[in-house]
Amino acid sequence: MTDTFRLTRRALLAAGAGAALTPAFSASRLMAAEANEVVVGTWGGDFGNTLKMAVDDAIMKPMGYTVLQEISGPVPRRTKILAERMNRRGSLDVACLADFDTYAASAVGALADVTRERVPNSAHVLPFLRKSYAIPQIYSAHTIVYNKEMIPTPPASIQELWNPKYKGKIGLSDFLYTTNMAYAAMANGGSMSDFGPAKKGLEAWKALDAKVLASTEAVGAALKSGEIWMTIIAAARGYMWSQQGIPVGWSIAEEGAFPTTYEACVPKNARNLDGGFVYLNAMLDPSAQTAFSKKMGYLPTVTNAKLDPDLEKLIGFTEAQQQRLWTPDLSYIMKNQAQLLDTWNRDFKG
Amino acid sequence: MAALDIQGLEKTYANGFTAVAGLDLKIGKGELVSLLGPSGCGKTTTLRMVAGFIDPTAGRITIEGREVTHLPAHARDTGMVFQSYALFPHMSVAQNVAFGLEMRKVGRAEREARTVEALKRVQLDHLAERYPRQLSGGQQQRVALARALVVNPAVFLLDEPLSNLDAKLRGEVRSEIRALQQALGLTTLMVTHDQEEALTMSDRLVVMEGGRVRQAGTAEDLYERPADAFVANFVGRSNLIRGRLAEGAFEAASGTRLACVPGGAGTGPLVFALRPERIGLSVGDDATGEPAVLKEILYLGAQTEYVVALGAERLTVIRPTPAAGDPLHAARPGDGVRARWTPEHVRLLPDT
Amino acid sequence: MAALVLPAGLLVLLLLGAPMALMARYSFNTYDPLYLMQEAFTWANYTKAVTDEFYRDILFTTLWVSLLSTFITTLLAFGPAYWLARMESSWKSKLTILTLFPLLVGGVVRSAGYIALLGNEGAINAALRGLGLISHPIAMLYTPFAVVVGIVGVVLPYMVLTLAAVIEGIPRQAEEAAANLGARPSTVFFRVLLPLSLPGVLAGATLVFILCMNAYATPVLLGGPKFHMMAPAVYDQFTRVSNWPFGAALAFILLVVTILMTSIGSLLIGRRARPA
Repeated sequence: MTDTFRLTRRALLAAGAGAALTPAFSASRLMAAEANEVVVGTWGGDFGNTLKMAVDDAIMKPMGYTVLQEISGPVPRRTKILAERMNRRGSLDVACLADFDTYAASAVGALADVTRERVPNSAHVLPFLRKSYAIPQIYSAHTIVYNKEMIPTPPASIQELWNPKYKGKIGLSDFLYTTNMAYAAMANGGSMSDFGPAKKGLEAWKALDAKVLASTEAVGAALKSGEIWMTIIAAARGYMWSQQGIPVGWSIAEEGAFPTTYEACVPKNARNLDGGFVYLNAMLDPSAQTAFSKKMGYLPTVTNAKLDPDLEKLIGFTEAQQQRLWTPDLSYIMKNQAQLLDTWNRDFKG
Repeated sequence: MAALDIQGLEKTYANGFTAVAGLDLKIGKGELVSLLGPSGCGKTTTLRMVAGFIDPTAGRITIEGREVTHLPAHARDTGMVFQSYALFPHMSVAQNVAFGLEMRKVGRAEREARTVEALKRVQLDHLAERYPRQLSGGQQQRVALARALVVNPAVFLLDEPLSNLDAKLRGEVRSEIRALQQALGLTTLMVTHDQEEALTMSDRLVVMEGGRVRQAGTAEDLYERPADAFVANFVGRSNLIRGRLAEGAFEAASGTRLACVPGGAGTGPLVFALRPERIGLSVGDDATGEPAVLKEILYLGAQTEYVVALGAERLTVIRPTPAAGDPLHAARPGDGVRARWTPEHVRLLPDT
Repeated sequence: MAALVLPAGLLVLLLLGAPMALMARYSFNTYDPLYLMQEAFTWANYTKAVTDEFYRDILFTTLWVSLLSTFITTLLAFGPAYWLARMESSWKSKLTILTLFPLLVGGVVRSAGYIALLGNEGAINAALRGLGLISHPIAMLYTPFAVVVGIVGVVLPYMVLTLAAVIEGIPRQAEEAAANLGARPSTVFFRVLLPLSLPGVLAGATLVFILCMNAYATPVLLGGPKFHMMAPAVYDQFTRVSNWPFGAALAFILLVVTILMTSIGSLLIGRRARPA
């Protein structure tokens, strides 16, 4: 998902910003729309296609709904929700966003509450993923992903990321700076609500000549070529790489791992509020959930979606592993996002 | 020894086009020779090969005994005046003129003195600090002259030097250039397509066509004794009629007989050449000459041009405009006239 | 005529001016993580941008990379531009189109090409290793060197075409006249061709410098994550942390510095380009 985001976000930011500044245009367009039409703001690429196949066509269409995908990057989508929140009618009925983006939208009161009545399938959602303002659609965790040939024993502790043995062989995705700093904070006595100690971890990485890689693809290429042996990235991504023949494994350390959840929400001022919730319910349908797992390596968020046992073994988290996942303090991250990037840029990349 | 000696000069381009096909020319010290011919005849290519802008395919160019055939332009010591003047727009008049001296490492004091002297010679010393675009066309032309002359080039090259001037200025500049060239004793090669320019300015002319020399000689040589029909028609105008000798006279292809002196001309195909101004016309019962019919009258002021039909042939005749009272003055197209000429004035040229 | 020109002019003004005015206003607001932006009038964003060593360094990096790239581009472009301008055969139009060809391919794609060329596993390193000249790859990708190479590659066509257009307007006879008067080719270049091309050099360099200052794809893709230039820094503020006020302030600083530098350039070269 990150790759789609990276390739298109520049163009889409412009489009999104334009739309955000002229909410009246999109609102008037939607006034003319029909009541059984649901407008879904989503990523394009694999994500959008899987959504269309497993949700739009498989579930919504038989129920008489027409789904319109509005494809953009997450930043314009979030900006649009924030900018439109004072309007009587917004332009999206459903928005797919990462957990911290839905949090930001809910923090300003832009999102409608998700209840059992509105979204019956939410009864099956894994307890640790539950939110009052969104449904978790898929999840994974940013775990340690490592080269199995160079590091035969799966790294058991996050301290392995600072093991002097791997000097020059640690690679970090520039894109996942928040996660990287969460790891650095946790390894140095910090918490999900205090990334201050991350500074020490960043400096230690710098001393160990850790590489910064510009994109998810660059991380994959560096793992493949042996330029790096270890990184922090979604377990789902590690699974996909191993499918492509790169000898990597993923490991949830004893200290835990940073969960990454992609959610979906309904703006309060959605034109088709009911349709939006029908859509959220469809997203939680076991058939839609397993379809996403197969395509993207992310895990179902509901207890009633059963993965194929072979796949489950490769990508699934055990009960114990689920327990160890950290609970991000989304409020802390939101308030400190600018500061975190600044620290990342200066103390580590500078 | 010729100041400029060109032997067997040839230029053939990669696409097979031959611009100059074996040209020989010797120019004596202080002589002005013009290359004359229609566009595409190879005259400009020849000039540019002498200047060093085009590399010859074959042949030799020698300037004052020094072979320069393949030397770069800057090492040739020629002074060229371009058709477009080619002044340096970012330099003042004085800087333009001093440029060649600077290139020759002439000291500052001498450089300035010679620049002023050269500008005086073309009466432009008062405009030394101006820039080219502030000057008229005629003034720019003179700066170009001064710039080329100031370095005392071994060979002076003129590329259509008058073609960008208006008609009135042209005559003036023409005599000015000639006077300068003679005063300084400059060996000069000039290219022109304007025969009047060539005739009035040159010591000798070279008529070119298709990359070859048709005839070289003085203005009088070319005018009075053209070597072939092309030269006869290109230098001045001629009545040219094809035919052959028959019974001591010229018989045109149409059968019309025309008076001439057969001389040594053979029995092969010939061209009868006669200048329009060598033909006399008269009207009236006592008139002598061949009977002809007046076809057209073209009044040119001092002269009048007539076209007369003589048998099946038409001849152009140029006469001083007759005064009122002259019977010719009253003649109208369709009238009968008499045409006459001295047979010695007819040239019988090979029909090539 | 005025009836047509006026509305069109206003539309252009609106299209060009409105986003700029909006950004200018934003740059004086304050950032708020929750609501993105609070209406205010503060110079704090500008103060932070110029006093913070981190952002000052980014500006200096942008400046030196742009100046160096512009200089190299000018040097490299002169030969091909002259050649193209003086060409007389039918190849001229074909080659002009060929020069335009790289512009049809986006900067991103061309940068990808440079990645393939300069990477540790790239064509150059592979070739050097194949020849046995090196045992370890030479690090070229993700260095300032790669960025300068990439930017020069991107902007070169603009420079070649701008220069060629100006050189075409310089009569060949001016060069011939200089040679005829005894100037060697190098003297012809420095005394005649170069002074007469200065307006083209100025126009090309200005255009290229502006493109360099605003380069985004090349520094991101070839400079790697540790290399910072202004345009990506502005973009980061907008997209990664939604700090529009600070992003807008950085953008305006970039704008002002670019205008300042091109004005200084015009004054310096422009004076020489115009004879009294």
